[in-house]
Amino acid sequence: MTQRHIELHQFPGGICPPTQKALSTSRPIAYPPLAKQLILPIQQHTGMPGRVLVKVGEQVKKGQMLVDAQLPMSVAVHASTSGIITAIDEHWVPHPSGMKDMCIFLEPDGLDESVEYQGYENYLETNPTKLLECIRASGISGLGGAGFPTDIKLKASKIETLIINGAECEPYISADDMLMRERSEDILQGILILLKLTKADVCLVGIEDDKPQAIFAMKQALEKDKDDDTHRVNIVEVPTRYPSGGEKQLIKILTGKEVPSGKLPASIGVLCQNVGTAYAVHQAVALGRPLVSRITTLAGGALSTPMNLEVPLGTPIGHLLEYTGLHQEQLEQLIIGGPLMGFPVKTTSIPITKISNCILATKQGELSTPEQARPCIRCGYCTDVCPAQLLPQQLYWFSTAQEWQKAESHNLFDCIECGACAYVCPSEIPLVQYYRFAKGEIRQDRAATEKSDRARERFEFRNQRIEREKVARAARRQARANTDTKVLSEKPHAKPMDKQPLRSAGAIGDVESESIQSLLVDEAALEAINKKIRMMEDRVGKARERYEMALSDGLDTASALKRALDKQETKLTTLLSERERMMSHSDPAEGKET
Amino acid sequence: MGKCRVSNNSEPLKIMWNGVWGSNPALVQLLGLCPLLAVTSTVVNALGLGMATLCVLVGSNAAVSLIRNWVQPAIRLPAFVMIIASLVTSVELLMQAYTYDLYLVLGIFIPLIVTNCAILGRAEAYASKNPFFMSILDGFMMGVGFLLVLLVLGAVRELIGQGTLFTDMHLLFGEEAKSWRWEVVPDYPPFLFAILPPGAFVVMGLLIALKNVIDSSLKAKQASNAAPSGSKRVRVTGPVT
Amino acid sequence: MKSSPYSRDGMKTPTVMRWVLAALLPGYLTQIYFFGWGYGVSMLLLLLTAVLVEAGVLAIRKRPVLETLKDSSALVTAALLAIALPPFLPWWMYVMAGSVAVLFGKQLYGGLGFNPFNPAMIAYALLLVSYPVAMSTSWALPLGLAEPADILTASRIIFLGDPLVQLDALSGATPLDTYKSLAGVELSDGIWQKPIFGEHVALGWEWVAMAFGVGGGLLLLKRIITWHIPVCVILGLSVMAMLFGWDPDRSVPIHLHWLGGSLIVGAFFIATDPVSAPTTTLGKCWFGIGIGVLVYVIRAWGNYPDAVAFAVLLMNFTAPLLDQITQPKTFGHQKPNRTLIKVQVK
Repeated sequence: MTQRHIELHQFPGGICPPTQKALSTSRPIAYPPLAKQLILPIQQHTGMPGRVLVKVGEQVKKGQMLVDAQLPMSVAVHASTSGIITAIDEHWVPHPSGMKDMCIFLEPDGLDESVEYQGYENYLETNPTKLLECIRASGISGLGGAGFPTDIKLKASKIETLIINGAECEPYISADDMLMRERSEDILQGILILLKLTKADVCLVGIEDDKPQAIFAMKQALEKDKDDDTHRVNIVEVPTRYPSGGEKQLIKILTGKEVPSGKLPASIGVLCQNVGTAYAVHQAVALGRPLVSRITTLAGGALSTPMNLEVPLGTPIGHLLEYTGLHQEQLEQLIIGGPLMGFPVKTTSIPITKISNCILATKQGELSTPEQARPCIRCGYCTDVCPAQLLPQQLYWFSTAQEWQKAESHNLFDCIECGACAYVCPSEIPLVQYYRFAKGEIRQDRAATEKSDRARERFEFRNQRIEREKVARAARRQARANTDTKVLSEKPHAKPMDKQPLRSAGAIGDVESESIQSLLVDEAALEAINKKIRMMEDRVGKARERYEMALSDGLDTASALKRALDKQETKLTTLLSERERMMSHSDPAEGKET
Repeated sequence: MGKCRVSNNSEPLKIMWNGVWGSNPALVQLLGLCPLLAVTSTVVNALGLGMATLCVLVGSNAAVSLIRNWVQPAIRLPAFVMIIASLVTSVELLMQAYTYDLYLVLGIFIPLIVTNCAILGRAEAYASKNPFFMSILDGFMMGVGFLLVLLVLGAVRELIGQGTLFTDMHLLFGEEAKSWRWEVVPDYPPFLFAILPPGAFVVMGLLIALKNVIDSSLKAKQASNAAPSGSKRVRVTGPVT
Repeated sequence: MKSSPYSRDGMKTPTVMRWVLAALLPGYLTQIYFFGWGYGVSMLLLLLTAVLVEAGVLAIRKRPVLETLKDSSALVTAALLAIALPPFLPWWMYVMAGSVAVLFGKQLYGGLGFNPFNPAMIAYALLLVSYPVAMSTSWALPLGLAEPADILTASRIIFLGDPLVQLDALSGATPLDTYKSLAGVELSDGIWQKPIFGEHVALGWEWVAMAFGVGGGLLLLKRIITWHIPVCVILGLSVMAMLFGWDPDRSVPIHLHWLGGSLIVGAFFIATDPVSAPTTTLGKCWFGIGIGVLVYVIRAWGNYPDAVAFAVLLMNFTAPLLDQITQPKTFGHQKPNRTLIKVQVK
């Protein structure tokens, strides 16, 4: 098999911080002992939480589904070991905002007894629908960091290039590196499954050139398994430059294409998956094993043995820190994720989830702690390193002056918050913090305007309704007055959804009492359906809000949210047409004559 | 003045305060900056232009107030400008007659008084809505406010620019005023920047800043005096007497 | 709690400023070597004034005095002024320049990072406007034409205006000024015979300019500045000189423009002041070209001997506009957003 030559491109900007990976790659992946308690957040992905299937006190086995994935954007959660459900309660979860969320508390019984796994032996010949179902049932969401449900992402059509992200550009993190070194064959099988599902012509595995062993291992796996499929797989060394592991950046490096702002990679025929996800897909499809553990890097100067661990999901990080020998007295900062995009740890009882790729425990002086920020001197170093080619100093200026409109017109929402600007800032300004703040404020503003718009619409609608009712009542009175004259009418011009009065006078004729009766009934029904419509409108609004938010952030949840939005909108249109029908029906004259 | 509104007793005081300080045409409204910046290089220039503006302002306010009930709103601005222009021409002729040297020094800035927004502004904002005497007072006080700023600017610029005060006062007051020249700093090397228009901008900016500082300290003092009065019930219902 | 990133690198602002000071050294030392210690005394006076005024203003503004002084930006401003101003001005002019630069040029706008104009050039322009005679005749004659003033002589001239010192023997006009006043009167060969032009281009001045060029190279190497502004300044001036000043009998030739005045120090050290320059790459290019063109326009058709200060100040006005209309194309966008005013369509 010959390696196809892949022409590399360069993304703009970027920085080269010291990688600090050697410490945690000197030891093989280890298996820590089970923690006394596992805490499994119900939602560990981007989307919505599923339904909890177990009750407190229930005995569960390893691999048993605890949370299902019936809802469109939900992902299943499985028991990471056997034991008893002790509680279902709120607990701190790994989230930048340091928030609490519902979690299932599992007390391991120490037996680690698992359900019977049933994989597809001949998975490359199996029906893709079944494979997707299997991936869904195994609770796989992107392991790279965004945590997008993998099966939904795989449903995108017209994919030409499958990109497997093994760049792992952030300092300290080596989970993907170690995974590729030790389990390259499984990853390759996972890649083949993904290739089959996406029907992509070519697969590019992008690995930064500071991981020669991983590249070697992957190439060797490829060498071993020569067939029609594997020749489409290319292992590509990419230059070590942060943030080459960013989805858009890696796509640019490997294909030269830029993902359009606010769009998904699928829009240019590219799909990106993490190596960890590929591995998990193989485990699920070939062996039937759901996602119950992941590789997490424990790194930082405050640990005596930094290394990579295969951690059962739900293990509190405190347990892992203890296992890797944390020197509490040296500890300066505890970070989930890497030093550039991670977030601080609130408490060490925070569990490892599907997206936790690194726990960083730094000792004093290991990361340069910023002093007091000095004024921006507009040196433009941030402009040079910004991978999105924004003007960070202008955005900073607009953010401090709260000029949101200008910030938006300077494409604030194309910022990927990689932190390169703040990394090089000579005035040590926490730039990313300002951008997050500005984004949050703008989103709130948008939500508020939308809410008021909707309220106004509703108010206008209500006014219209009241007006209609008034006219209808007048018509009824008129009709009653006309009963004596017994005028027979021609057919009224009642069009559906007519803004005109529901019933024209004189059309009622002698069926007055009956018609009033039916009108009353209809009006109750109309009221009910109006209520439904209003609720639906609310829901559509919220769904749109969420979709737009995801869109402007460039999250890959956007497509799924779009689908949800479409669904809601269809429902709304159904309701609206139903109301139209009712309203045209509620005109008894028409009902009678037709 | 039968139609005249019964004016509040404090109205004249308010007009005086506003003219000189509260809404000083130069410092607060920033009107008429063109002559203000161009001719205030010495005290005598400032005084000459300030007096001329003051006369025009009083005259125009008086005239506008008199005709305020007869002028159609649609043509009021041309009418006001006509009035102002006539007055300016008169002042210009008077200056030609009596202070010819100063007239030569001030040059184009005398006819340009017509375009001084402070004058048209007062005609439009005050004189066209208020009775005769009040309008005259307003014109006078606004003129005084403008004159004072001009004088301060002229004095500061003359002092910084050439180290003297009251040079060439004979242009306005006759020969005996020649001796009024006061050389504050002997052998002062002329500081051209202060004499040139940019210097006027800077000094003007500093004057505005100074006024703002004084205002805010006054406000702070007031606030600290008023603060401990405690909560006060405000009558919100019933007839207000 | 702090948010990411937790890791930082690169030069801090004070380090940047100190590197700028260091990069000024070769040119500055050459200046002293050729033109004497007038530059030494003026530098001391300016540094002292700038620091004292900055400290005073910071204290009045209730800002941390020592912390802010550490950023060394006042020192850079003072150093640039000392290098740009003639060496034999009376002492109070240096004090005035230093105070004006720090007070009016910087602190009144809100301190470092908020000044729309280059503070040093504000002070330079003020002196040039106010004291045109002193500013054009207080230049020292270079080594070879006169004995460079030692510290004592320089101090006596600066502090006492000592009539015992034969100032006329030590000072004179700049070569640019000399050539400009003679062009059209004499032929270029005749002009070049004047002793002030020395053997090459401009006695002493040429070496100073080149030494500043070396310093500028150091800044480029340390990636403190990018090449865009300096190159475009020189480019803009050169194109103008080639278009309008090709006849050496009538106008100043191009190499004298390069080496005979403050063009090099202006291009590398003054125009590149980040605070008052645009930040986009394209904006920097236009900014530089504008300065180069203006320098030529003022030198050739204006009344002032040198023009870097006015050119830089005029272009400082355009920096916000340039930043707005030269925005780069954001990643994932079709074309850059360069509209002046964004009309909000609802």
